[in-house]
Amino acid sequence: MILAALAGGLVGTVVLTTGSRLAQSVGWTRMDIPLLLGTVFTVNRNRASVIGYAIHFGNGLVFALAYGLVFESVDRAGLLLGAALGAAHGLFAGGALLNVLLPAVHPRMGTAWTDARDTPILEPPGFLLVNYGRATMGLTFALHVAYGAIVGLFASF
Amino acid sequence: MRTDGYLPIADYAVVGDGRTSALVGRDGSVDWLCLPNFDSAPVFDRILDAEHGGCFELHPVEAFEAERRYRDGTNVLETTFRTGSGVVRVTDALTLHDEHALAPLRELVRVVDGVEGRVELCWRFAPRFDFGRRETELGRRGGALVATCGGEAVALCAWNAGDGSFVLSAGERATLVLAAASAEPLVLPCRADAERRLEEAAAFWREWSGRASYDGPWREQVVRSALVLKLLTFAPSGAIVAAPTTSLPEQLGADRNWDYRFGWLRDGIYTMRALLSLGYVDEARAFFWWQMHATRTSAPRVRPLYCIDGGVKTTEEELALPGYRGSTPVRVGNAAADQLQLDVYGQLLESAARFRSRTGSLGAATGRELAELADYVAERWREPDAGIWESRGPQRSYVQSKAMCWTALDRAADLAEAGALPDRGAHWRAEADAVRDWIEGEGYDGERDTYVRAPELGAEADAALLSLPLCAYVDATEPRFLATVDAIRRELGAGGPLLYRYTGAAEKEGAFLTCSFWLVDALARAGRRQEGETLMAELVELGNDVGLYAEEIDPTTGEHLGNVPLALVHLALVNAAVSLAGGDGA
Repeated sequence: MILAALAGGLVGTVVLTTGSRLAQSVGWTRMDIPLLLGTVFTVNRNRASVIGYAIHFGNGLVFALAYGLVFESVDRAGLLLGAALGAAHGLFAGGALLNVLLPAVHPRMGTAWTDARDTPILEPPGFLLVNYGRATMGLTFALHVAYGAIVGLFASF
Repeated sequence: MRTDGYLPIADYAVVGDGRTSALVGRDGSVDWLCLPNFDSAPVFDRILDAEHGGCFELHPVEAFEAERRYRDGTNVLETTFRTGSGVVRVTDALTLHDEHALAPLRELVRVVDGVEGRVELCWRFAPRFDFGRRETELGRRGGALVATCGGEAVALCAWNAGDGSFVLSAGERATLVLAAASAEPLVLPCRADAERRLEEAAAFWREWSGRASYDGPWREQVVRSALVLKLLTFAPSGAIVAAPTTSLPEQLGADRNWDYRFGWLRDGIYTMRALLSLGYVDEARAFFWWQMHATRTSAPRVRPLYCIDGGVKTTEEELALPGYRGSTPVRVGNAAADQLQLDVYGQLLESAARFRSRTGSLGAATGRELAELADYVAERWREPDAGIWESRGPQRSYVQSKAMCWTALDRAADLAEAGALPDRGAHWRAEADAVRDWIEGEGYDGERDTYVRAPELGAEADAALLSLPLCAYVDATEPRFLATVDAIRRELGAGGPLLYRYTGAAEKEGAFLTCSFWLVDALARAGRRQEGETLMAELVELGNDVGLYAEEIDPTTGEHLGNVPLALVHLALVNAAVSLAGGDGA
């Protein structure tokens, strides 16, 4: 079940990343997950994108492992349970992970106590990611539900 | 200075970064800026809507006089404002990619230096997205003003510039930075990084323009034109936008208002000659391959223009905007893309021949593609087309188009003989001879002793025929061509060095500056150098205060008309200077 969940995590992350990129392309959101993650480590935009994609896929596998452990512990897995976990994951990502934790550890992202005068800063996501566009939270939530459903589906095989 | 809220077109200077550009007015207002790229929707569009259009004003509060210059060899603009109480200098630039710090996707830096006395200035940052068709949301992030619309966002970071007005004494400095994001979070820069990037941009432009291998007459204007062309080059693809603006009118209050934010194949030969003459081989290579990549999507049918990324989405629409001084409609997109313009095939084949002679090889696949184009021309050259001037009326058998068909077939035959194209050289040569027979028969009016615009248009003259030597159809010393030059000057002359494009154009538009430079080029090639130099001297005086040319000029008022700056005019200026200097231009 764990291995299947990891495989689902890989596919789910592809779907999530592609969906996010498509949403950027049509102007629904300015959230660029690889750029946000990669610029923790470098100011070079090209390198940041590559690093960011790698981290995001790594995260996708780590979360799939966590999902797998949950499936193991309750001894069941499926699309709906996965989607439910994805919903919780999406709320966590939009409500705390990107909004609170990432700015706290990101050396180039503003927080409530920094301003534009001192350091170059990456625009922070804001409450429920609203700074990146009003649809961002909804998209993040929906894409994580899809991710969870895919992981759950794979784990149920 | 402004008429009904509009500056004269000649009052605009341009700054750019190889991806987009901004028009900066003599009064310090940025009135045009598309983001993130040349062909994106603007955030500043006051040139088309004085009342509601977006703009970024920055000027002294009291009455002022403005002087402008580009820093030597750069696309960094300096505007010096003199007031009764002092002097300040505003330096404007779009910055370039930064290796050392996280930088905004696009960045316009405006540095204000106090030079003398004490001057109060004010600024107004009023972006408007997508010509006002979509709502702009305003807010703040940290100390920055932020405006967003869907996936687009701009922020204004200001230091020592107050909240809309500030006072600057000699030796003091204020900095305002527009940071732009598209489909990504904004990067809000720090002051030191932004100012450093401005200086690095200036250093890059100086280094780049310093490489121009031209020491002939009018070097200053040639280098300025080279800088304009580099600024209009879309760096990610190598395409050169015809101009960075849309719908600046060819006649005030009239409807000849077109979107020029595309790459035109019509400019191919002139671009290759200008760039190669100046030693900019990398830029010529990038432009050539952009042409080849773009045309692959539709070959063997070649569209007159393509998007700067090589795409074909050029759908024309009219916007509900008042237009520059009431000139409507305002258009985005360009329907000329769907026209049949046979001249573009000659542009492509001649470009390929020049490129090959300079760089050695085209590759077998490209050779096959070019051969397909030559076959297409051999099959269809007898058909009427829309011609180089993109007539939206009935198609005609334009002589300039036929001459370019000859160029296409002759170059294809040459390249085939050199082994660069499949061996159908004899067929193409025979068709080229047939084209020439047609031109010298149908396309020449023996009574008037001139090549004609199109046989079915009777006695109409066409200044496009001045480009025949540039396109290698005819030697400029040939009697028929010399007689045509004289006929064009007689029939299309608009005073001094100015020419209208064709018979009847005087009622619809201004004089077309490109044709004047073609005339200089033709005279230089014909050995009438003194005549050419006299005209050239007059033409360089017609540029605006920083050496830029719009598409046309009103022969009566001297007012610039049409989109600005126009790449084709600057290409023609470079080529004319090269010919006057005796160069063959690669």
